[in-house]
Amino acid sequence: MALAPEAAVGSPHAVTPRRAPLARRLAPYAGFSPAVLLFGGFFLAPLVLIVLYSFWEVINYNVVHHWTLDNYHYFFSTPTYVTTLLDTLWVAALTTLLTLLAAFPLAYWLARYVRPSVRRPLLVLVIVPFWTSYLLRVTSWTTILGQKGVLNRFLELIGVIHQPLSFLLYDRPAVILVLIYLYFPFAALTLYASLERFDWMQIRAAMDLGAPPRLAITRVLLPQIRPGITVAVIFVFIPVLGEYLTPQLVGGTRGVMIGNLIVNFFQGAEYTRGAAISLLIAAFIVVLLVVFRKQLDVAETYGR
Amino acid sequence: MSINGPVTRRQAMRAGALGVTGLYVAACGSSGTTQSTASKTSSAASSSKAPVTLNWETWNDHYLPAQIAAVKQATGIAARPSLESDDSDGYLKVKQTGGQYDIVSTDALWAPKYFHDGLTEPFDIASIPVSSQLYSVAKEVPFWKAGGGYLVYPNGWSSVNIYYNPKYVSPAPTSWEVLTEAKYAGKVVAENQPTDLMAMAGLATGAKEPYGMTTAEISRAQDFLKSAKPAFLKLVSQNSDSVRALADGSAWMALENLGTDFRVKAAGGPVVKEATPKEGVVGWIDGEQMVKASSHKDRFHQFLNGMEQAPWVAKNFLVNGRPLFNEKAYKMLVNQGYKERADLLWYNQPEKALQLTLKGPSGNVQAYIDAFNQVFGA
Repeated sequence: MALAPEAAVGSPHAVTPRRAPLARRLAPYAGFSPAVLLFGGFFLAPLVLIVLYSFWEVINYNVVHHWTLDNYHYFFSTPTYVTTLLDTLWVAALTTLLTLLAAFPLAYWLARYVRPSVRRPLLVLVIVPFWTSYLLRVTSWTTILGQKGVLNRFLELIGVIHQPLSFLLYDRPAVILVLIYLYFPFAALTLYASLERFDWMQIRAAMDLGAPPRLAITRVLLPQIRPGITVAVIFVFIPVLGEYLTPQLVGGTRGVMIGNLIVNFFQGAEYTRGAAISLLIAAFIVVLLVVFRKQLDVAETYGR
Repeated sequence: MSINGPVTRRQAMRAGALGVTGLYVAACGSSGTTQSTASKTSSAASSSKAPVTLNWETWNDHYLPAQIAAVKQATGIAARPSLESDDSDGYLKVKQTGGQYDIVSTDALWAPKYFHDGLTEPFDIASIPVSSQLYSVAKEVPFWKAGGGYLVYPNGWSSVNIYYNPKYVSPAPTSWEVLTEAKYAGKVVAENQPTDLMAMAGLATGAKEPYGMTTAEISRAQDFLKSAKPAFLKLVSQNSDSVRALADGSAWMALENLGTDFRVKAAGGPVVKEATPKEGVVGWIDGEQMVKASSHKDRFHQFLNGMEQAPWVAKNFLVNGRPLFNEKAYKMLVNQGYKERADLLWYNQPEKALQLTLKGPSGNVQAYIDAFNQVFGA
């Protein structure tokens, strides 16, 4: 915008520059509008509603705007919920650990030993399960682990068992197994992306300098791919915390997670209690993300 | 449908053909039923073939896909069913979405609640020609009469009994106490309906009003469920899941509707038998309601007149079991050689439906859900 000459030299009589029209000032941000609309309309606004609901109460299927802390008090004063939440955390942590342990060797092998021309089809294979629906992927496990499932029949066929094993399905191990299967691609792809950028000559250099292979991996490789590991943990741990369908379909009454109890609240119109417990989980996740945020900073690895 | 009843192709085609004929007759408005003044709009509507899609909140045993397709062809009315897991689920969805649904299925004492909360509208049942095929008792349910009309177009009824596999469950259960026996740990399935399971536990522990229990009664029911919890393998979302569990042998007992024995057999499963606990059973009578905020109320009568024709109802009985309220369909079943099966499921005794402890909204739902969650939490 052209200024008057006086203004340009800082005259005391300088004319205040005219501001650009609002539309022009907002133009650079136009690209954000879909995200703002989606995030604001479908995430922030419902979140505010959930916060409000958690401080209200339900009387005869109607939400009444009586401010109260009862919903939170109820959660912490009822051992079942605290126990179920702790169990859910334990399941999420174990699932995350096992998923990463299963995904790491694949990602390592792909990034280090597989020719680039072969990598792409192999990576496609990792995401093949996404071509079918989530529900189908979970349900299919009932035909594998069930009484008359593939696994039981195979074990009977080779003479290992004479009666079907009933504990394979509708228990916590089944939930963990299916969750590992569901979240494996997230972990594998994230770890692969991290390992692919790693300079493998550094491992050789470390070993040339006398480091045994295990030390080279723990002191050179792992610190550098820490952000990738952190993202993989976030991608697995957080969704597993809120899982409802998998425990419902393969967990039975012994594989219940906190999400299943929350659903019961909403099914019975107990929105306010459901909202309070949902918020407690959300708060826990936020704390977790704050903790993880530091782990994403690779510069700190070498004390820069 | 995932479950196919023991219906031959010829029988199915005959039922379909009869259904289409019924629909044609209904669509032409040539039924001989006398119509009341209130039915004039529906009569006018029944001649309309303008295409419209009705959103229908219901259960999966209220319709057959072929039936919906045939009604669409005959009347221009398509239906888009979405499944409700239980009555409170359906109630809440209608309450939250206003006129997004046109028809909602419900059970027994839930209908007055819908009406009193301004969610549904009564209608003149006599103005729907196909209602002449109903048992008269179905048109005289006292708590379905309100606002000068009828709240529900009756569909079917059932008690929720114990179905057991006699190969593993012996002696035959006579009481709900069977659920607390250690030898049946992990061998029982039931539908995940917290209020109804609490009501069942209330019956087991002698509650006078299972859907309106006092605090002390809720506590006793909770204790009973706690002692029965080890028996529950899983809580399923639809009754077809219970049928599958009995059929594949993962469950030995199920708390399910009448006709489950036939459905298990049709699914290739073992022989299962029905037992009625001495403490009594919970039951339901269900049907379709007109949503007050619907913008297609003028097509409600025409749609039901197509859907509820006896040939389709008879076919539905063969596929899904449990007694229905269409008397003409019963007579058709008798003529087709299914009298024994229909009578075994009390299809010929609709008055039994009103003698059950019927499903309804709980007076203290929060206490019910709290108690249920405390049992089935980790």
